[in-house]
Amino acid sequence: MSDRTRRDTWTSVLLLFLLAGMLFPLVWMVVGSLSPRWDAGWFNPFVQPPVWANYGDLFRVMPFGRYLINSALVALLVTAGNVIFCFPVGYALARRRFAGRSFLFWAAAGVLMVPQYVLIVPMFAFIHQLGWYDTLWAIAIPFLVNPLGILLVRSAVSVVPREVEEAAILDGAGPWRIIYRIVMPICRPALAVLAVQVFWLTWNAFLFPFILTGDKARTLPVALAMFRGYQGVDRPHLFAAAMIATIPVIIVFLFFQRQIVAGITAGAVKR
Amino acid sequence: MTTGHPPRGRHTATSWLLVSPWAVILAVFWLYPFAYALGLSFVSYEIFSGSWRWVGFANFAAVLANVEFWQALGHTVIFTVGTVPVTTTLAVLLALALNRRIWGRALFRAGFFAPTLTATVVMALVFLHLYGQGGYLYSLAGWIGLPVPEQGFLLSEKTALVSVMVMDVWISVGYFALLFLAGLQTIPAELVDDALIHGASPWRRFRAITWPYLRPMMLYAVVINLIKSFQIFTEIFVMTQGGPLGATTTAVYHIYVAGFERFNLGYASAAAFVLFAVIAIISLVQFRLFAFGRGVEE
Repeated sequence: MSDRTRRDTWTSVLLLFLLAGMLFPLVWMVVGSLSPRWDAGWFNPFVQPPVWANYGDLFRVMPFGRYLINSALVALLVTAGNVIFCFPVGYALARRRFAGRSFLFWAAAGVLMVPQYVLIVPMFAFIHQLGWYDTLWAIAIPFLVNPLGILLVRSAVSVVPREVEEAAILDGAGPWRIIYRIVMPICRPALAVLAVQVFWLTWNAFLFPFILTGDKARTLPVALAMFRGYQGVDRPHLFAAAMIATIPVIIVFLFFQRQIVAGITAGAVKR
Repeated sequence: MTTGHPPRGRHTATSWLLVSPWAVILAVFWLYPFAYALGLSFVSYEIFSGSWRWVGFANFAAVLANVEFWQALGHTVIFTVGTVPVTTTLAVLLALALNRRIWGRALFRAGFFAPTLTATVVMALVFLHLYGQGGYLYSLAGWIGLPVPEQGFLLSEKTALVSVMVMDVWISVGYFALLFLAGLQTIPAELVDDALIHGASPWRRFRAITWPYLRPMMLYAVVINLIKSFQIFTEIFVMTQGGPLGATTTAVYHIYVAGFERFNLGYASAAAFVLFAVIAIISLVQFRLFAFGRGVEE
């Protein structure tokens, strides 16, 4: 027994070293975002005072506040949309028999397998035709119903015992009442997983926001990628901007770690 | 129909009302653009005049005859073959370590996941600076005696692609370790205890107990990692823009350049479908291989 305990301590020590190495880039981002402009990267946070002004500069010199608001609006809108819309869809696919049901289900599974880039050219053209180019609609509306969310809700609903609904039918409840008053509250954990997963993916999304927006509706990840090309943006400001894009997902993770883990493994367990 | 159920017509109408959000999004933002892309791949489209001409399979022929496309596909294959096995192996080892009785397990789990949690663009920007002249990784490599290109890792044809690959492994190990850990945690404790009592060797325990629980996760992990790797774009756009001298131009970057920089929409769509076909075939082969392996063992 003591042999086993000792071995596990060594595992911990090894993991600690590994973790320090893994996290180094992120730690450097924090330190770098607070270093003076002329610094070459060997900034010592314990000797020099941190330059908090790097963060303020982003909002004064660049339209960074707008990028932040765009990111927040799109992430919240898409998250709310998925919670509201995926539930009835997933419910209907799990419980009701109707013409076209299996097509809609296989389409959801299929869309997950289709690489996104197949659609970048036609999406760009189509969004232009709609007059939505460089608007928040362009990067929110197409993503209001995530097929992953549909599959998540569907599998959550299918483990709810049918007796729950049958009892409600006997009491004279209609389909809408059953869905929103009885089944939805039971599936709240799955909806939390869905909301956190969608928020995370939308906040970090790059490809479609990059293709479908110009300066006006630009989100944080796209703005960051563009900063790389600007000669005027130095490393401390770049890292400060990267920090602002990172802090919200860290906060979400701290509060909803369980939901994120469940969301990641949800896809695997089903197969 | 038993009594108490609504008439069938109304039942179907209600069902369709429930699924309408997905039906609309699917039709408008997935099926229509998909059909549009398929159509584009068979025409020559003049973006400035808006005129188009049916060209049959000419775009596909142009893709297959283009040396640049094959080079880009080659880089994509190198990237995938170089990263997926490494990430998978390291992730399994990490998951096995995290599954032991160690202190601070929750902390470790969260910590290793942090690089995945962060946006790819953010990680790519930080690594861009780590790899450059005077960057920490650049200095570290020089200090331990590795041959370093004087212009920095990302500006040398020899090291640029490998550098992006190293970063990819760095970022995604935590994600896959979490997946495998979830698989390991479904192993019943009695099974492990039983094996320990009977004095089974660590390797035998892995083969007989751990592996069967890990395998379903393994198939899923390898397939999604493969699909993800074949689509690598963000890292390339942020870190190298396909350079130096095309050394990191991957398939999707090639498609992006064709469509959005050279405005050759027909060619870009055709190339996208060729790549799509390659990914589909590889995924199918994988499913087959894993299913076959199972048949042999049982």
